[in-house]
Amino acid sequence: MWRYLGRRLIQVPLVLIVVSLMTFLITRATPGDPVQIMLGMQTSKEAADAMRAEFNLDRSLPEQYVLWIGKVVTGDLGRSIRLNDTVTSLLAERFPVSLQLALAAMLFALAVSIPLGVLAALRRNTWIDYLCTGYTVLGFAVPNFALALILIYVFSIRLDWLPITGIGSSEAAAGGWWTYIKPFIVPAVALGTLQTAMLTRLLRSSMIDILSQDYMRTARAKGLMPATVVIVHALKNAMIPFVTMATVQFGYMIGIQVTIEYIFAVPGMGSAILNAVVTRDFPVIQGFTLVIAAFFLFANITADMLYALLDPRIRY
Amino acid sequence: MALLAIRNLRTRFATDRGTVRAVDGVSFDLAEGEVLGLVGESGSGKSVTALSVMRLVPEPPGQVTADSMSFDGIDLLRLSEAQAREVRGASMAMVFQDPMRSLNPVLSIGRQLVEVLQRHQKLDRPAARRRAIELLEMVGIPLAEKRLAAYPHQFSGGMRQRVMIAIALSCNPRLLIADEATTALDVTIQAQIVDLVKRLTRERGTSVIWISHDLGVVANLCDRVNVMYAGRIVESAPIRDLFHRPSHGYTLGLLGSTPRIDGPALRRLSPIEGLPPNLIDPLPLCPFLPRCRVSVAACRERAPERRDLGREHWASCFAELNQRTP
Amino acid sequence: MALAQPPATPRFAGSIRLAARQFPRHRAAMVGLVCLVLICLAAALAPLIAPYDPVQIKLSAKLKPPSFEHLLGTDHFGRDVFSRLLYGGRTSLSVGLLVVAFAFVLGVPLGLASGYFGGRTDNLLMRLVDAFLTFPPLLLAVALVGLLGPDIQNVMLALGLVQAPVLARMVRGSTLAVREEVYVTAARALGAGPGRIVISHLLRNVVSPIIVQLTVVFAAAVVAEASLSFLGFGTQPPQPSWGRDMSEARRFLGDAPWMFLAPTGAIMLCVLSINFLGDGLRDALDPRAWRTRRAVEPDKR
Repeated sequence: MWRYLGRRLIQVPLVLIVVSLMTFLITRATPGDPVQIMLGMQTSKEAADAMRAEFNLDRSLPEQYVLWIGKVVTGDLGRSIRLNDTVTSLLAERFPVSLQLALAAMLFALAVSIPLGVLAALRRNTWIDYLCTGYTVLGFAVPNFALALILIYVFSIRLDWLPITGIGSSEAAAGGWWTYIKPFIVPAVALGTLQTAMLTRLLRSSMIDILSQDYMRTARAKGLMPATVVIVHALKNAMIPFVTMATVQFGYMIGIQVTIEYIFAVPGMGSAILNAVVTRDFPVIQGFTLVIAAFFLFANITADMLYALLDPRIRY
Repeated sequence: MALLAIRNLRTRFATDRGTVRAVDGVSFDLAEGEVLGLVGESGSGKSVTALSVMRLVPEPPGQVTADSMSFDGIDLLRLSEAQAREVRGASMAMVFQDPMRSLNPVLSIGRQLVEVLQRHQKLDRPAARRRAIELLEMVGIPLAEKRLAAYPHQFSGGMRQRVMIAIALSCNPRLLIADEATTALDVTIQAQIVDLVKRLTRERGTSVIWISHDLGVVANLCDRVNVMYAGRIVESAPIRDLFHRPSHGYTLGLLGSTPRIDGPALRRLSPIEGLPPNLIDPLPLCPFLPRCRVSVAACRERAPERRDLGREHWASCFAELNQRTP
Repeated sequence: MALAQPPATPRFAGSIRLAARQFPRHRAAMVGLVCLVLICLAAALAPLIAPYDPVQIKLSAKLKPPSFEHLLGTDHFGRDVFSRLLYGGRTSLSVGLLVVAFAFVLGVPLGLASGYFGGRTDNLLMRLVDAFLTFPPLLLAVALVGLLGPDIQNVMLALGLVQAPVLARMVRGSTLAVREEVYVTAARALGAGPGRIVISHLLRNVVSPIIVQLTVVFAAAVVAEASLSFLGFGTQPPQPSWGRDMSEARRFLGDAPWMFLAPTGAIMLCVLSINFLGDGLRDALDPRAWRTRRAVEPDKR
């Protein structure tokens, strides 16, 4: 198994190189001069040239790429052109916030999908099953930003129960854990609904399949309590694909979060990239996408490892 | 006083095409310590009978009714699901056909053994573990203690079936039902398993219902045999009598299509021609009629009644295959 | 004695007819189809149906709730929401369709080639696809459009590029599965060349998951276009666009909820219809899902 893990880990830098190349090409091959955007139209040529030299923008493209990769390998992701900070420290600010939001969304997804999926499979063709199907259908159909607007309208404006800004702000941190969590709720629900729909559907169909298996009949023939039968015998089998998908979804979430971060003014990775794209802040774009891609890759690898761990039949 | 007494068991299933009469009026008794064989082709209702006794038939879409069905003094029909759970696994246990699919692949076999012991005998974990090891040794699994942590896919077919038997016998049930328990196994392993079951049940006086379509195994193991067709018992006899005096067209057909190691070497097997019976809308005649080689005129007029052939042998057949005055 | 001539009917005919008969059984899919057709018609005929000019500013009529004159109310510039909805639909749906076409043209041959030829071609192509898939799609689209400019072609390019790898992956998977089927070996044994195999055998079996996946791509493209416009990267004002309108509606959530409800409802309706349609297609094209007629009889005894 360790050899398999090793092989997967070796592939990571390769994929990351391709990703970084793609990002690099996209950013450099498109119009828009970051220096001009940063300094404005009125600056002198010398100032502009100086800045360009500082960021290596006056070198040839391949040179720029090699220089950048060289620095990345040593851990230096460069400096932001626009903001007066290293990319790494920007990351350190923004990544935890995005991570927390993704976690919150995931928790929501798990809290809803597990009971709903299991109950819908146990009580097929009853109201709970129809509720579940209806919920999943809607969950797939509503884009997360649309849902966000709806939730904001209902919960913040009409009912005034929940705030819509203030994630990660200092007041929130100072006010105790409920004050800290409150601003996460609406965005987490908006972000996590698609995941919930996918996970619920997966769990429900896995459970339905499992419940018709022979070993479930054996479990019942042993006279075991229904809770044992469902949780220990059925759910344990269903959790294998479930956990895998949840992990992969989690890895993906940071990339999807962009619109939610935008709506709720979350100081996370997505909004940072958004700004960076507008201002042509190349180092930020490159550095952040690299990290997001790496995160996704590691999530995938973790999912595979978890699968092997959970299913005793798999031994690499 | 019979351990298990069934009168007129009828189990039906609602399907798209109509109501299927899987079990259509089955009655028999099972004495303590008796080994009863239930023989018939696929779809004859043998498994469903067993599941009905164990109250494992999902209702809906199934429906289990009977004039009476009692086990060890308990009225099986009136049991609530909670009460049935107490009986299952404890006084009545079942072994199924395919041990690979009948054991949970993600739980260790130790876990699957221990949970029954904890459930019905209220043993704590260490005690249950010790008992589990004893049980594994009893069914002939070497290195039992290490094997507790193993998973079903790490065992061979025969070993898995031994584990299933250990699970079934773990709480000393009065009745063991084996549904095609050896069908999915190699012939040599079959013999081992049959011997194991024979030995263990004789030791404990456990009654056994052995379901099979393999007459050879049945001959080795059973005291009595009920032959089933189309959801009904068509013949019932002590084991030797069945082979020496088959008295129903279907029994005859079965025997004729079974290869015999002691028969003439080049005898042609005579399979039973025709298609399986209609379980949805049966005619009020003998269900085997379309495929029967020994039918008589009366068969086409009315349904046959039970004919007592003496020595606890009866058959529902008009053809007087083995006349014997009681 | 001469062999009889094989019938001239194309081999598709029988199965397509069977599938077509299955389709209407799926009620949700029929509803979806009807809805989708209506939406497309409404969007296509927008210039004829729309009661007002969608970009005409009329501040005196701003933020009016739904009424007879303005079926879905007006926005903060006094523009009729219903008209904007119709015109916005044109953008969204046309982008969606073009993205589907683009993804199809790019992804399907890639997947087919990769799956059929296997070996190093497959390896290389799939590595590329993997790298693409590691990129969060929305970010890729944002980056592309943000950097290339908010032109509608760039939006389509970006979205198509994002969807094509997924399609290619799926097509490759189906192709791989079909390639190993016995009937392909049989065909080869009978002397069929790769072209014939690909067209007659592979394509037929791959067609149904492709069609279903294309509906998914369509829905995803509509949503993605809306997301991009929402973020400011897609359609530019004053062009009507569902996503853009929703973004502008944010400030008026409390005062004029119809401003965001209308495009939200439109998107949801679109996506739901497409999803149901996809479900119906999937069930119709998969013989294993075909339903027989049900006849439940009461017990006569």
